[in-house]
Amino acid sequence: MEYIGEATWIGELGRGLVILAFIAAFFSALMMFLSRSKDHTLIKWGKYAFVLHAVSIFAIVGLLFYILLGHYFEYDYAWKHTSLDLEKRFVFSAFWEGQEGSFLLWMFWHSVLGLILLFTAKQWTAPVVGFLSVVQGILVTMILGVYIAGTKIGLSPFVLIRELPENAALPWTRLPDYLQQIEAFSDGTGLNPLLQNYWMTIHPPTLFLGFASVVVPFLFAMAGLMRKDHKSWLKPALPWTFFSISILGTGILMGGAWAYEALSFGGFWAWDPVENASLVPWLVLVGAGHLMLIERNRGGAAHSMYLFVILAFFFILYSTFLTRSGVLGDTSVHSFVDLGLNGQLLFLLFTFVVLPLAFYFYSFKSIPKGSGNEEFWSREFWMFVGSLLLFVSAFQIIFSTSIPVIDKLIGPDGFVPLLTKKMAPPTDEIAHYNAWQIPFAIAIGFLMAVGQFLTYRKSRLKWTWVPLARSLALAMLLTLLFAIPFELYKNALYLLLLLSGWYVVVANVDYWISVNKGKFRFSGSSLAHVGFGLLLVGSLVSNGAKKFISKSPVHLSENFPSNENLLVELNDTVQMGDYFVTFTGTEQIAHRRYYFMDYLRLNDKGEYELDFTLKPHLQINDEMGLVAEPSTRHYFHKDIFTHLTYAADMDKRGDDEGYGEEMEFLMAKGDTFIVNRHFLILDSVVAEPVFNQDQTVKKLTVEAVLRLVATSGETYTVRPQYTIEDNMDFHHEEVVEEAGIKIRFDDVKVEQNKLLIKTKTKVDDDEEFVVLKAIIFPWINILWVGCILMGLGTLIAVYNRIVHKS
Amino acid sequence: MKKTHIIALVIVFLSIGVVIATLSDSSTYMDFESAKLNAGQTFTVIGELDKDGEMNYNARQNLFTFYAVDKEGNRSKVFYREPKPQDFERSEDITMKGFATDTGFVASEILLKCPSKYNEQNAMAGNE
Repeated sequence: MEYIGEATWIGELGRGLVILAFIAAFFSALMMFLSRSKDHTLIKWGKYAFVLHAVSIFAIVGLLFYILLGHYFEYDYAWKHTSLDLEKRFVFSAFWEGQEGSFLLWMFWHSVLGLILLFTAKQWTAPVVGFLSVVQGILVTMILGVYIAGTKIGLSPFVLIRELPENAALPWTRLPDYLQQIEAFSDGTGLNPLLQNYWMTIHPPTLFLGFASVVVPFLFAMAGLMRKDHKSWLKPALPWTFFSISILGTGILMGGAWAYEALSFGGFWAWDPVENASLVPWLVLVGAGHLMLIERNRGGAAHSMYLFVILAFFFILYSTFLTRSGVLGDTSVHSFVDLGLNGQLLFLLFTFVVLPLAFYFYSFKSIPKGSGNEEFWSREFWMFVGSLLLFVSAFQIIFSTSIPVIDKLIGPDGFVPLLTKKMAPPTDEIAHYNAWQIPFAIAIGFLMAVGQFLTYRKSRLKWTWVPLARSLALAMLLTLLFAIPFELYKNALYLLLLLSGWYVVVANVDYWISVNKGKFRFSGSSLAHVGFGLLLVGSLVSNGAKKFISKSPVHLSENFPSNENLLVELNDTVQMGDYFVTFTGTEQIAHRRYYFMDYLRLNDKGEYELDFTLKPHLQINDEMGLVAEPSTRHYFHKDIFTHLTYAADMDKRGDDEGYGEEMEFLMAKGDTFIVNRHFLILDSVVAEPVFNQDQTVKKLTVEAVLRLVATSGETYTVRPQYTIEDNMDFHHEEVVEEAGIKIRFDDVKVEQNKLLIKTKTKVDDDEEFVVLKAIIFPWINILWVGCILMGLGTLIAVYNRIVHKS
Repeated sequence: MKKTHIIALVIVFLSIGVVIATLSDSSTYMDFESAKLNAGQTFTVIGELDKDGEMNYNARQNLFTFYAVDKEGNRSKVFYREPKPQDFERSEDITMKGFATDTGFVASEILLKCPSKYNEQNAMAGNE
C-alpha cells in the first residue's frame, strides 16, 4: 500500500547511512589493528574507512535536522520534539532533547575529533583511530533500530510513528491517507518549555564536546599500553587532555548558568544526580592531566596516570549509563526515562572496563615504576597528592549518586537481595555533599596555592617561603573583606574555604608575576588556577551568604517557620529586604505571560523611587502546563533573583470565554447531577445520521437534550451536539450565560450506554495576586568570572603547548 | 614505609569513610505507616495522588494540602508549605521528603514523576 504524503526517502536514506557508518567504523578498526607500523596501505584503507564513517555521521545529523526543520511529523522524532510554532533557534534544543539525537551529537564530535586525529596523530594514527572506531561502532548501534533474533538493537531517529511497535496493530496505520485524516499529525507535540532557553542551545553541544574529547587521552593511553611505549604518547596527548578539561568544565558550568537563569530552584548547582554525573569525569580528568604532567616532566607516576585516564573515560560511560538507563528516575528531575537501551549501555560499559584492564595487565611489567619515595618538598609530590584528593572527591560524589544503582544490585528487588529496605538518597542531600566536598575543596585549594612555588625534584625552600607568606597575608585580608559583611566567620569551614580560594588566586598571580615575569607563554596554568580559586570564592559567597528577601510573615504555627514565598496582590506594595515591590500588571506575548514587578527604594527625601522592574514569566504549554521562568537583575556585586511560584490568574484560568474548572459526568437518560447550584438533568438523546449512497453512515450527529434548573426555579434547555464525520469528531458546546455554565457533549460511552458530559463554570477572576520567591546572591559574578578564566587559562595552556613544542 | 604507601593508606581510609558516611546518611524509602511510627524523623515516601481526596492550595497561608496513597496502599493527608507544583494532577509518582505528625505527613520537598511522552502518544494512538 502507498501512503500519501509521507517523505519516506529521508528515513530510508538515514537508516542506510546508519548501517554504512557502522560498517565503516568496523572496517576502519579492522584495518588499523591489522596494520603494522610500517604498513601504509592498510592504514590508508583504515583512514578512508574512517572518513567514510565520519561523513555518514554528518549526513545522518543533516537528515535529522532536515526532518525537524521541514516539519515531517510522520517521523516520531519530529512529532515528539518539535511543533509548527517552535522558534527556529530552538530546533537545536529539539535535536538533542531525545536520546537518539544526543547520541548523534556525541558521535558527531567523536567524528570531528577523529578527523583531526587522522592528520595530527602521526605514528599513533593506527591504534588511536582504531580504538576510536571501536567506540564509535558501539555507539552507532544505539541508533541502529533493527531487530536481531527478536531483540531490538538501538533506537532509530528515523522511525515513523505508524511503525512504532505500540501502534503496529491500530486500524489507522492501514489508512493510506492517515496523515491527512488524523488531525494529530498536522502538528507535533512540541519541545519541553524548560529547554526553550538560549543556554540550552549552547550548553549541550559544549558539554558533549567536552564529554567526547575525554576519549582522546584515553585513546592515546590505550595505544601506549598496546605498544608498550609509555612515554612518547604523552606529548601529543597532553594538549588534548587540557582541551578536554577546559571544554568539559565550561560545559558543566554552562549547565549551571542555565539552571540559574531558567530553572526555579534558585541557584546554579543542586547536587542533582545528572549534574554530578558530568562533574565526576571532570574531576578525575583534572587528576589525570596533572599526573600526565608529572610523568612527562619527572616520571614515576605512570601507573597512576594510566589508571586515572582509563577511569576518566570509564566515568564518562558510567555517567551515560546513569542518565540514560532510567535508573535515576526516582532521584533526579531531568534524567532520561528507560527506553530499553540498558543492555547495550551495559555492554558499552563492560567493554571499556575489560578492554583497558586487559591492556593494562598485558603491559603491566613494562610500565615504569616510581621510586615510591618522592622528595617531600617537590612539586610532583604535592601534585600527586592533589590528584588523589580529586579522585576521592569524585568517588564520594559518584558513590552517593549511585544509591539507586546499589538498590538495583542489592536492594529488596535487586539481583542479590541483601537489603530489606530500599535505600533512598540522604534526606538533606546538599548538606551531605557539602560536608565532604568543602573540606576537599579547602585542601585542594591550599595545594594549588603552594604547589606552583615548588619546583620539580627538590625545591629551595628558603626562596619559596617569602612569596607564599606574602600571598597568604593578602589572601587573609581579602577573606576578612568578605567574611565580615556577610558573616561568613560563623562557619569555620566557610571561612577556611574562603581563605583557601583567595590564597589560590593571590599565590598564582604572584607566581606568574614574580617567577614567570608575567609572560604570556606561562600564563595558562596560572590563569586557570586563578579561575578555579575565584570559582571557589564566588560559589561560597553567593551561596553561603544568599539572602531570601521574600520571607513570608505568615507562621502556620509557633514551630513552623515562615517560609521563603511572599504573596503580592495586584497594585499592592510589599517590603522585601531593602526593596519595596509592587506588582503592576501582566502582559502576554504568544505563549509567554510576563508579570511586572517594580522594585522601589526609599530615597533620601523619603519618597519611593523606581529602581528597576523584573519580569518573571510563565510559559503556557499545552503538554506541560505552566512552566515558570525566573527573572534576575544583575549588578556588579549582587544579583536579585525573582521567581514566580504561583499566579492566581493562571491557576484559575478559563478558556477564551472565561470558563474553567471542568467537571465530568457520565449520564444516562433521566440522571440528575448538581453543577454550580443548578440541577442538570438529561431528558433525551436525539441521533441524526446522514447516509452515503451505499447506505453506510457518512455523518452522525447526536444531540443531548439537557435541562438546567436553578434552585430559584428558572429552567433552561440546552442542546449540545456531538458529531462524527469521516473518523473525525466535532463538538457543539452550549453556554448558559445566566447560570454561568458551559456544557459540552464530549463522547458516547457505548458499553455503558451513557453520555460523557463535561461542564465548565464561569471563572471568577477578580483575585489577582502572585506568590514570589526573591533571593539576593551577592558577588555571584566572581563565580562566572572564575569560570571564564578557568576555561580560558586552560585553553591558553593548550595553545602554548602546541606552539612551543619543547 | 614509603611516602606513597602512606598516602595510599590515607586514601583507602578516606574512601572507606566515604562509604560508611554515605550509608549512614542515606535514608530508606518508607510508607506512611512506618513513618508515623517514627514521627518527627525525616523519611522519603513514594506514593501517588489520591484523586478522590480533597486538594487545596491556600495561597494566603501558602499551604498546599492533598491526599496521597503510598506503595503499600496507606492513605495520608500531606501538608506542603510551598505553592502547588505545576502539573501536580498529571503526576504518576510523587516522591515526598518529610516527616509524619498526628494529622498527616509534612513534606519539605516534593519531586514529581510525570508520564513520559511515550504514554501520551499511546493515548493518542488509541483514541483515533
